[in-house]
Formats: sequence, C-alpha cells, structure tokens
Amino acid sequence: MKQPERHRHGYVDRRESIRLLTGFLAGSPLLLAQQDPFRDHSRIPSIDELIDVFDFEALAYEKLPRSAYNYTAYGAAGEFTLRRNREVFKWIELIPKGVVNVSSIDTTTEILGTRMNFPIMVAPTAGHTALHPSGEAGTHEGCTAAAETPMIVSHAASMPIEEIAASASGPIWVQLYPSPDIETNRKPLEKAQAAGARAVVVTVDQEAAFYERALHDRNLAGRRSRRIRRPRRDLNRYRIPVKRLWYEWKLFDQLRSFINMPMLAKGVLIAEDAKRCIEHGLDGIVVSNHGGRALDYSPSSLEVLPEIVDVVAGRVPVLIDSGFRRGSDILKALAFGASAVCLGRVPRWGLGAFGPPGAQRILEIVQAELVMAMAHSGRPTLASIDRSLVRADLP
Amino acid sequence: MARIGSLPAATLLIRAQRSPQIIGEPPGRIPPLDELVNSLEFEPVAQRKLDDAAFNAISGGNRSGFDHIVFRPRLMVNTQNLDLTTELFGDAMFTPILIGPASHQNRFHPEGELAMARGASAAQAAMVVADRSDHPVERIAAEAGGPLWYQAYPESDGHSLLSRIHKAVEAGCKAVCITVGTPYGQIGSNGYPRLSTLPPMGNPAFDWNYIDRIRRSVTAPLLLKGVMSAEEAKTAVKNGIQGIVVSNHGGGFVHGLAEPITVLPEIVDAVGGRAPVLVDGGFRRGSDVLKALIFGAKAVLISRPALWGLAAYGAEGVRTVVELLQTELARDLAMVGAANPQDLSRDFVKISRR
Repeated sequence: MKQPERHRHGYVDRRESIRLLTGFLAGSPLLLAQQDPFRDHSRIPSIDELIDVFDFEALAYEKLPRSAYNYTAYGAAGEFTLRRNREVFKWIELIPKGVVNVSSIDTTTEILGTRMNFPIMVAPTAGHTALHPSGEAGTHEGCTAAAETPMIVSHAASMPIEEIAASASGPIWVQLYPSPDIETNRKPLEKAQAAGARAVVVTVDQEAAFYERALHDRNLAGRRSRRIRRPRRDLNRYRIPVKRLWYEWKLFDQLRSFINMPMLAKGVLIAEDAKRCIEHGLDGIVVSNHGGRALDYSPSSLEVLPEIVDVVAGRVPVLIDSGFRRGSDILKALAFGASAVCLGRVPRWGLGAFGPPGAQRILEIVQAELVMAMAHSGRPTLASIDRSLVRADLP
Repeated sequence: MARIGSLPAATLLIRAQRSPQIIGEPPGRIPPLDELVNSLEFEPVAQRKLDDAAFNAISGGNRSGFDHIVFRPRLMVNTQNLDLTTELFGDAMFTPILIGPASHQNRFHPEGELAMARGASAAQAAMVVADRSDHPVERIAAEAGGPLWYQAYPESDGHSLLSRIHKAVEAGCKAVCITVGTPYGQIGSNGYPRLSTLPPMGNPAFDWNYIDRIRRSVTAPLLLKGVMSAEEAKTAVKNGIQGIVVSNHGGGFVHGLAEPITVLPEIVDAVGGRAPVLVDGGFRRGSDVLKALIFGAKAVLISRPALWGLAAYGAEGVRTVVELLQTELARDLAMVGAANPQDLSRDFVKISRR
C-alpha cells in the first residue's frame, strides 16, 4: 500500500533507481565509444597539428559528406592519368646548389598584370558550398589571407561572382565553360569584369568526360545509375553528351570582342595546340589534364610542360595544374619554365577541413614549402630557377 | 521524467547492438545490372555465377601494354558529327567493336551462343561465331540481327572443316577467320600435361597450301586470326588472305606471348593497307580500343568482357558490356580530338617507357 504512494511523491526505491541508472549507462554514447577499437583514429586534430597538405585530405574525408569528398577525389575512367599526375614527380629530381646567399628569398611575380606574392594560384573548381557553408567566398577569404593568393573563380561556382569578389580584397580571375551560342558568353564575362576579374581562363578540355565512380556513389545512395543517364535528350547515338563537342578555334576570336582582359586557354597538352593558341591571340596557356578528370590515359601535365614551354618560347606565360601538392612540386614546374602553378584539390581540402582558415593555412603551407625548397636548392629568386635545377627522366 | 529519458537511451542501446555496416559488396551478391559502370566490373559478378573451371577459362587477361601508351589529345576539334561507323567487307558496322569467338559458351550461360547473339545484335555489334559452338550456326544466325562472322580451327580433316564453313556461310556468316597458332589445346584441358596424348585442337601439320585449299573453295572473305609478326602478315596477304586478326588467343596457350597491342603497329605497317587488320587481346576500356584504332587497326574483337557479361546477366549483360565500351570509345575519340576513326593517326599517341 505504501509504495505507490511514495512514487507519487517522487521517491524511487533502490531497485528501481539501479535499473534506471543501468539503462542510462548502457545507452550512453560514452559507453558506445569505449567499444570502438579505432576511436583514436577518429580524433579530429587541431589546425596547428597539420604539417603538410596531405594531412588536410584525411581530415576533409572525416568531415565532409562522402559525396563531397569523392567529387574532389575522383578522376576520369580508370584514373590512370590521376595516378600519373603524382607519379611524374618521382621522375624529376632536384639538383641543388649549396654555396648561394639565400638570406632573402624573393617569390614575387607578375602574370598578365596581376601581381602575386608567390607563383601560386587557386585553380577553378566547382561548387565550394558542398565543402563549407561559406563556399567560394570562404575560399577567397582564405586566399586573400594567405598572402593575397589569386583565385580563379569557377564557372560552376555555387554563388554569384560579385558576392565572391566582395568577400575579400585579393585578386580574382574567372573561368569560363564556353557556350555554343556565342552571345550567351557575354553576360558572365561582363559580370566577371564588373566584379573585378583580371583575366579569363577558358576551359576547353573535358569535352565528354565522365566520373564513372560517381555512379558508385549513386548506387550506394540506393539510386540506380544508368536509369538516370539513359533518358537524357542531349546524348548522341553513342550515348555521350553533345554539349561540348562543338569547340573550334574561332571561339577565341569571337570571345575576344566581349572582354578587355587577358584570355587564357586551359587544357593544352601538346605543343601544336600551344602554338595555335598563340596564333589565335591568347594571352596565356594553362597546361592541364583537368586534374586527371578529362581524358584518361592523357599524359601528366608536367611531363609535357617542357615541349610546350619550348614552343611558346616566352611569348606568353605558361601556367600549369594537375597533381601539384608540395612546394617542391611547384619548384619542378618553375624549373621547366612555368610562370605559375594552379592548385585545385589542395584548397578544397583546406576549405573542407577547416573552412576559410583551412584554405588559408593550406596555401601558407605550400608557400612556405616553396620558399624552403628554393632556399635549400640555392635558388633565391624566381629568375634563378632554370632547367639546371632538375634532372628529369621523363618517359 | 526518468522513464521518458530511458526511451532514447534504449534506442541508442538498440543501435549499439546492431552489427557494423558492411563496407563494399557482401560476398556472392549479384548486383542489379544497372549498378555496373565498366566492363571490368562484370568479371567478379561472372565469378559468382560460375564454377571454378568455367570461370578460370575466362578470368584475367593481360593488358599492361596499354599502360605504356598515352594520348596526345588535340583541342578545339569539332566532333559534333562523331561517327564510329566502320566498313568491313562491305558491311557497315555501328562501331569498330566486334565480339570475338569463344568455344562452348553453354559453359557460361544455359543459352550460350544464342544469348550472346541476342546481346550482340541488341548492341548493334557483329559477332564471330566459334567453330566449337554449343548451338548450330543456323540457330545462332536466327537469333542474331546483326552481321555474323565465323571462326574455324584448321583441322587435319579438311573436308569436314570445309563443309562446316560452307554451312556457316550459307547461314549468313559474312567472313571466316581461320585460327592459326593453336595446333594443340590448352595445357591441362585434358588432365595433366602428357606428351603422349597432346589435346588436339588445330592441325599441327599446317601450311600455306592448306590455307590455299580453303581459300579456293570459300567464297566469303578469309581472315587469319593469330598472326603476331609482320613477316607472317606479309606472307598471308601475298597468299591472298583478305584480313588479319592480330591475336595471342587471350594468352591462354603459352606463357610469355607478346601482347597483341604491342605488335600491332609493325603488322599494320607491313600489311600497308592491302587488307584490314583487326586485333584482340586484353581490350577492356574504350581507350584500349582507341589505341588500336590509332595504330591503324580497323576494328577490335572483345571476348572476355562479353563472356563476363554473358555469364553474369545473359544477353542483357552482353549488350551492356558492349554498349559501355562503345560509349567509352566515343567519349575518348571526342576528347582525343577526332570526329571519326579515319581522322586518327599515330600522332595521337606517345609510347611511354613507364
């Protein structure tokens, strides 16, 4: 008779309280954590604990949704070119000079009217809001904080270019995926110029690329791949999208009338194309295999850089991207005659791991690595970097 | 309050009891056909469907030669009129991808060659019917909508061989491949290897006179399948052979045979356009096929990938494998900067030591 009465007043007997406590403990996430043998590996380190860019990749993997990480990681088809983009650095060795005054290292340069503190730019990559809510504005913030690194804003950016330009004071360039109706290209280019873009990079590779591993992601998400792919109307009879198959050289002449900023072509991999770029009045060339995301079994961009630099012969600046991760990687491209190196995945890892401060830190790390590499190889200025710095055994 | 609190606690408790999520494929799972995204992915599915003996006959394949060929892609080439149509012996083929011959396909699917023929014609690809098929060639021809070719082993008994070839040509086969370089069967196909009872296959006493005899009595174009040297290709063309198939028979007979893609360029040079040169061996990607076309091959035979498709999903699997390869080829052709195979030249590739 007494017990229910005590209950009503908030008293719990000994047996009942032990039962409740046991239930609480058993269900607690703390207890669950004790059962995870890998818990040490899932600790998120602080930004100061990361010492090279590869440390950021693991962290971006931990923090991002799988699809956002994968989109950054993937290459086209069997990813031969994606792998080769990293392998090529093993085929090129640095031959340093030791007796050189390197008490001050000068890395400043100017490319097509844009002053840079380092020969390093951020390559155009799509959809940064998938990596961090601050999106491209956050990347730009990080770039500007990291010694005003110029950022090339992607045509597939997730926010308007005015907003990106307004987020920080550093220089921006803009990237264009040209549209077959030439007039359609006018608006984005004029908008970019009004927002302060100082050059336009026209991407002309990746005419029909396809990340087949992206289909695995859809499969993992419970959706079926080719059922999405098949009913599309913009496919030809071989089931490939036709929207970028129209590219022709006259495009550059047509675009020229819309802009009064320098124009570069991105995606060059052979010397003949570099020559034709100059014939068509382009102000610069970006040697690129689209980070291994265009034609699989393309060469790595670094292994074709020497022949392109030779044929360009200093008439226009030659930029390069695809596979660059370290300061020494950048030094190798500079030794072959590149004017600057663009980083695509690197700032994405930084932004994905820590947002704008991550983008800043990861760029600062690469910049510091470049300074160290220049100092240790006895090349205190960019002008002192030449092919005598490298011993290349290219295939 | 405490009672309400125990509800979410219990939920977590239940969650903790669940087994960890399995990453990757559960063993033995046959995924829906739409999940597979390239031809290589059909191999493990075929393995799950087949017994060891059948699977071992079609597993693997060497394709490391392709890793030493990189493209030199050209920009700004208009490829809106992309056209893979290939003409061979008067037939216009949808793409330069054919399905190669394989014996006894009932080992891989209950309907064997019939399902293969259905899949091939669904993908608008020509199929080479093997001499040792499990179904009569008329029935295979009745299933196929597209062009058929025939493959034959040069047996000691030339008469029965000729009568089979005639039957095949009558049934509608447009060309005949004579397989050379396989006088005996595969080691181990007849129990342990014994010199006294070598497994018979082709005709060990084989020479150009024999080929001449066949050529004179067969009206359809005659190809030699298994040519691996420039010299022999030249002799073949001199002897009136109308087509060459560069092949090492999937590498199954002798260890250490060269990869066909590596000997293709010199054979194309030796033939010098007098006869079409085809190739098979290790083709798994559209880029592999593109490399053969760049070296001057007219078309490519794919065998293992089609058999994986057959074993895993029947005719639909064959169709999907071939369509995936066609799509990859079209994509790579556009990106390398050519609107059709005739625009290709060896300038589009670089041989890489690495």
